[in-house]
Amino acid sequence: MTTQLAVDAVGVTKAFGQVRAVDDVTIQVAPGEVYGVLGPNGAGKTTFLRMLFGLIRPDAGTIRVFDKSWDSDGVGVLDGVAGFIESPGFYPYLTGRQNLEGLALLDGGARPGLVEEVLEVVDLTDRADRKVGGYSYGMRQRLGVAASLLREPRLLVLDEPANGLDPAGIRDMRALVKRLAASGLTVLLSSHNMDEVEEICDNVTIMNRGGVAYHGSITDLRAMAPDPGHLLDTNDNAGARALAADHPGIEVERAEDGLTVVGQEAADGLTVVGQEAAVAAYVADVVRSGIVLRVFTPTRTPLEALFFMLTDQEVAA
Amino acid sequence: MTATSTLPTTAPVKAGTPGRPGLGATIRWELRKLRAQHRTKAVLLGALLGPVPIALVIHAQGRPPKDTLFGRYATTNGFALSLLILGFAAQWVLPLLIAVVAGDIFSSEDTHGTWKTVLTRSASRAQLFTAKTVTAVGFAVLTLLVLSASTIASSVLVGGHQALTGLGGQLIAPSTALKLVGASWLTTIPPTIGFACLAILLSVWSRSSAVGIAAPVVIGMVMQLVGAMGGVEALRPFLLTTPYEAWHGLLSAPRFTGPLVEGLLTTGAWAAVTLAVSFALLRRRDITGG
Ligand SMILES: Nc1ncnc2c1ncn2[C@@H]1O[C@H](COP(=O)(O)OP(=O)(O)O)[C@@H](O)[C@H]1O
Ligand SMILES: [Mg+2]
Repeated sequence: MTTQLAVDAVGVTKAFGQVRAVDDVTIQVAPGEVYGVLGPNGAGKTTFLRMLFGLIRPDAGTIRVFDKSWDSDGVGVLDGVAGFIESPGFYPYLTGRQNLEGLALLDGGARPGLVEEVLEVVDLTDRADRKVGGYSYGMRQRLGVAASLLREPRLLVLDEPANGLDPAGIRDMRALVKRLAASGLTVLLSSHNMDEVEEICDNVTIMNRGGVAYHGSITDLRAMAPDPGHLLDTNDNAGARALAADHPGIEVERAEDGLTVVGQEAADGLTVVGQEAAVAAYVADVVRSGIVLRVFTPTRTPLEALFFMLTDQEVAA
Repeated sequence: MTATSTLPTTAPVKAGTPGRPGLGATIRWELRKLRAQHRTKAVLLGALLGPVPIALVIHAQGRPPKDTLFGRYATTNGFALSLLILGFAAQWVLPLLIAVVAGDIFSSEDTHGTWKTVLTRSASRAQLFTAKTVTAVGFAVLTLLVLSASTIASSVLVGGHQALTGLGGQLIAPSTALKLVGASWLTTIPPTIGFACLAILLSVWSRSSAVGIAAPVVIGMVMQLVGAMGGVEALRPFLLTTPYEAWHGLLSAPRFTGPLVEGLLTTGAWAAVTLAVSFALLRRRDITGG
């Protein structure tokens, strides 16, 4: 018996005028998998997911979801699929509960008590009877998850669900997605943030300018990742840099302008790239030589660095 | 976030295939949204209460508006008064009342960014289109019925129910007059549906409620102007406003119903074409917004 793929998208292409928003993308998601579509803004993630939902039609390629396609099954392709694209849209003049009850009508009805259950899952029970017009962005985002769960899906598709949320909202949303993923749902998650995907996804497709820049497991991706980077600032950066000659395992360069560290102004320092132990030995040398350390902080995780490289985004070091 | 709640989807086995909604459920959803909106209530209240002050004001005029159809008797006869109001309502009030809902029912999904929400459930575009169209047309007819009943009742109460002088100078007994006045109002159902369909097309095409609501009114006025101009007689039968005058035949002596049949054909053609184009636009559309 061949395993039926949850998502089987082959050679999918979509252009808007001159812009090839999605260019020959193949993504296959196995049932039970938590799959990440990663890419910077404008990479084509949303456009791809819109095609999956049949909101827009691909110019070329085929998309099958649980072995159904738009051409042969129409809206039936969405049986067992739920999710939302960008920020979910709701009717501001209806309450959260009314929105869910109404959408359930379009699903052919929800079993009794399910609306309450999904409101509870996203922690909106207390606000369910307020008009959505008064909801915060984060509450609307959570209502979007609730509206998706209402379909009791086998495949949950989330397009940058943490986008635009404040730090607390991001934390809550990530925890929620993690719990859903752990519950056995197949999840297709898009993100521009490596952290978010790294934590919960088994496999990723990294998209860049419509195309696929990487395709494979997070484990393989880790093996490819470069050494971690650090920012170093001292009272004698030239002296510190000279000391690097004794440490062949690391690379020390002048940091380019605009490199910022959390909680600080742009620092005019050095970037240090290398394995943890080698970097530590180098920094110990710097301190021993009498140079005063002002800043020493990691700038990016290896996976993040790789992501930036694969998608040729501007990044120092 | 509560961490204790049971997830509704703990096992793939439990996950069901969502059912396909029936047309009834889809229409019920449209009605719920309609009911929650202030504009819906405003239109129905306007149709119900608006005729009362209008009837009172016209009745109180010292000199009747003689140049208008049935104007001569409007201050002394309730039936004439209600027909005068009918002539006036057909000019722009009816198209406006209709368009407030029909010109918004599609574009409001654009306004709220909810196309992607409703189109990622289990209802097809065809189903949503049908539900919205049925709702908009149904609401238009309901509005018309409320306006008719209210106008006739308040006119007769204010102006009395004496025998009515018809367009051929014939005297029409009160019981017949009431039937004919009611029938006259009912003859505006077809063009009302036609205007609802026009508003639907404009709202689907423009994706803007402002256009969907205002444009049918403006187009209606332009059609009336064209219809009133000399030299374009050939065009009159094709205008959506012409059927609004078909009731004149009912009050003439002898009665004639040719314009009613013609009007039915005209509005049928308008409805068919506008709805077909609307659906073609919606079906092919890439939902990229929202
Ligand atoms: N409706 C549209 N019209 C024109 N260009 C579009 C449209 N939607 C997306 N694009 C373009 O397609 C590319 C991919 O966009 P998108 O899929 O939104 O990327 P992402 O979700 O990864 O940020 C971008 O260059 C974007 O400007
Ligand atoms: Mg996007």
